[in-house]
Amino acid sequence: MNGTRLLRTLVLLTALTVMSRPASAQVELGGSYSVRMYEDYIERGPGSYLGDFTGMPMSDEGRAKALLYTSSLPSTIERQCLAQSPWVGQYRPLNLRIWSEVDNGRVIAWVLAGDYLRDTIRIWMDGRPHPSANAWHPPSGFTTGHWEGDTLMARTTHVKTAWIRRGVGIPGSDRSEFTVMITRHDNLLTITTVQEDPIYLTEPHVVSRVWEFDPNAAQDNNARSSCNTGNEIPPLEDTGKVPHYLPGQNPDEDYMVRAYNIPRDAALGSAYTLYPEYRKILKNLYTPPASCGRYCCGWIERQGLPGAAPGLTCKDNNQPVSNEERGGGRGR
Amino acid sequence: MQTDFYHGLLTWLWALVLPLVLPNDSGAQARAGAAAPPRSPRATAPIDLAGQWVAVISEDWRWRMITPPKGDIVSIPLNLQGQHVAEAWDPAKDEAAGEQCKAYGAPGLMRGPIRMRISWLDDNTLQVQTDYGVQTRVLRFERAAAPPGARSWQGATAAEWIVRGDGGRGMTTFGTLKTVTTNLRPGYLRKNGVPYSERAVFTEYWDVHVLPNGDRLLVDTNVVDDPVYLQSPFQTAIHYKLERDASRWDPTPCDARF
Repeated sequence: MNGTRLLRTLVLLTALTVMSRPASAQVELGGSYSVRMYEDYIERGPGSYLGDFTGMPMSDEGRAKALLYTSSLPSTIERQCLAQSPWVGQYRPLNLRIWSEVDNGRVIAWVLAGDYLRDTIRIWMDGRPHPSANAWHPPSGFTTGHWEGDTLMARTTHVKTAWIRRGVGIPGSDRSEFTVMITRHDNLLTITTVQEDPIYLTEPHVVSRVWEFDPNAAQDNNARSSCNTGNEIPPLEDTGKVPHYLPGQNPDEDYMVRAYNIPRDAALGSAYTLYPEYRKILKNLYTPPASCGRYCCGWIERQGLPGAAPGLTCKDNNQPVSNEERGGGRGR
Repeated sequence: MQTDFYHGLLTWLWALVLPLVLPNDSGAQARAGAAAPPRSPRATAPIDLAGQWVAVISEDWRWRMITPPKGDIVSIPLNLQGQHVAEAWDPAKDEAAGEQCKAYGAPGLMRGPIRMRISWLDDNTLQVQTDYGVQTRVLRFERAAAPPGARSWQGATAAEWIVRGDGGRGMTTFGTLKTVTTNLRPGYLRKNGVPYSERAVFTEYWDVHVLPNGDRLLVDTNVVDDPVYLQSPFQTAIHYKLERDASRWDPTPCDARF
């Protein structure tokens, strides 16, 4: 190639490079955020019912493993931190604190911290590759990100085996990978996670949640991002016993069928039950229960937060019974 | 040969400098003044919302896919008055009053088990049609104040693009659709009579994300403000998946019970 042709090539390449710069509309995400639990409140607050896998696209393997679960299982030392996987915040009452790590004025990582996270989530923004598939899986997984407009797109790999939803045993394997979208609109922060798990899910599992910017949230103990283990059930200590139900013997397998008249295939989490056409089947099978049962009341009352409306009369079997309802005065 | 070399070098330097000194499209338009009419919202759309989207009910399944029992108001920050209204829910009464679509107003509809078709009605107007309840909402970008019509289930929606990246010099544009819906007829946030009032304001941010496998996800981050029945704003995010196959579109009329 002679000099002129080389220069022409340079001209072309340079012009293309300069004129096709990608947008880099980075947003300041730093700050503290209060969780807004107006979705899946029971799951994220008091905890869901055993046998409630509604809304989950579970594989047969996932369902079988979930039905072995007993509520004593997470009390074993080896499993106490299993519930605290990187994006477990989607299913927890989790306030968030976010900050950036800067090198030479350039953000090289965004870091998310909060209670119920076993470790901070560090989203690398410096273009580093994901490690080998055989590399160690740390508690936080490994996450990289880039901006697409105002959305921070992240990818998490190398996670540990975990429970997708706390307290009911829905499993997530260590082959799970997450695509995560973090978007801020004014004071609202939306985190959408798409979990792919070739072992326990039949299709990507999507969850979208909202937080609100709040300088008082996620400070001190609320952002500790750690998991401490302890002996929770002394009779189990050093016995090697793993609490579980044998296949077909879980007494809660049909709880949602009995309590809420929900068809078994929906209660036990099948992908086709997540789409509107499933209502054609439901219409002939479902009759609403006579009453709400437990956890019926509005969110604010349940939290007992300042500003809660006084005098709410909602009947909630999980609420302490008032003296009046006990039929007498003090001391009864 | 040497002349060619310097000529080439000069051209190369121009290529470096030119994109930096050239005005971008929006700047050029501004200078052109009235000669160049502003481009329409349709022409300047930073994201493509058109198509058929299906709600993926992976959250709140028991409250969205089926009608929960009366009094099940968990998750929603109702005040006392709102709770009393919810506890008085009577679908037979709604049917008798011809109000079986109360759960199909915009703030309730978007959380429903819906398929929606989004399309451009004209250069300034998007429309959102749903098969669930056979509803149509119109999203207007026009700034001129429209005379307030009668209140309706879908209300009046003002739309604006929030654009990042100006599209000049080959830059990609990204953005969000922000909509604010008012003039609503009182309706239900949940099928079992959890109310919102005619003073409710429904604000939404519509984002489209492309997943690594090429799937498109629409996330609607939204806030219902209602000074009558809510203690605090009701903030959620709802997600939908783009469907390439439109065959599952299934118009069904409003139903006050199921």
